[in-house]
Amino acid sequence: MKLRRPARARPGEPLVALVDVTFFLLVFFMLVARLDASAPFEVAPPVALSGQDMPGGGVTISVAQDGVLAVNGALVGEDWFDAVERAVASDGAVLIRVNAHARAPLRHVLPLVARLEDAGLAEVVIVVTPSAP
Amino acid sequence: MSLARLRRPLARITLVPLIDVLFILLVYFMVTSTYLDLDMIPAAASDEGLQAPAGGAGQGGRLLLQIRADGSVALRGQAMTPEALPGALAASDDPALLSVMILPSGEAPVQALASVLDALSAAGVGQTRIVRLEAQP
Repeated sequence: MKLRRPARARPGEPLVALVDVTFFLLVFFMLVARLDASAPFEVAPPVALSGQDMPGGGVTISVAQDGVLAVNGALVGEDWFDAVERAVASDGAVLIRVNAHARAPLRHVLPLVARLEDAGLAEVVIVVTPSAP
Repeated sequence: MSLARLRRPLARITLVPLIDVLFILLVYFMVTSTYLDLDMIPAAASDEGLQAPAGGAGQGGRLLLQIRADGSVALRGQAMTPEALPGALAASDDPALLSVMILPSGEAPVQALASVLDALSAAGVGQTRIVRLEAQP
């Protein structure tokens, strides 16, 4: 009696590498969806067409609609200026970006700018966007 | 002669449904991610900005521009929208020689200030200064 050897199963497509790449892309897009704001709360910057291009680096102060502050993404309270000074000292940064929500009252924003100006930090800018988010 | 039945190979874990779900999530995050084009407007002016330079801005006089709590603008007591500012300024003076002091209400939104600075820049105003609010944040 003749017995036929069973045909070898064809090796499958190597899908694991594809899954790895897809996972990387997925994690990247999940992270980058929050990185643009650099704030632990929602900040929709005001719209202005005459803004200049913003260089990288610097310290970012985020102001929420209700006046809550964050320095470089970390929530701060009354001691916000100490956090800014520490960030400036550690980074050697000279540019201070005030990333305020478009509907935040100016009483939450302008005193910050005045305090920074008094401290000799002349490069204080307000973050704007040329197109509505 | 007895023949042993061949053992069935173990079922493979199929990856295709996993990849399907991953691709759907990937496309979702790619579509919903927002990439804002961020620009900046200088907020702190140097002290010498207050002094009228010879032959430059400030010779055309000073204007006080008020930003009200509702975001509207008052120029010489006349209420208008920030978008109407360039026309109002161009009709009366040479904007390049003007020095504009902005007096904002503390309740006005940041968007109102940005719109005013935008309009003044579009009108070619030579010098802009924001009057300070002394209240604590």
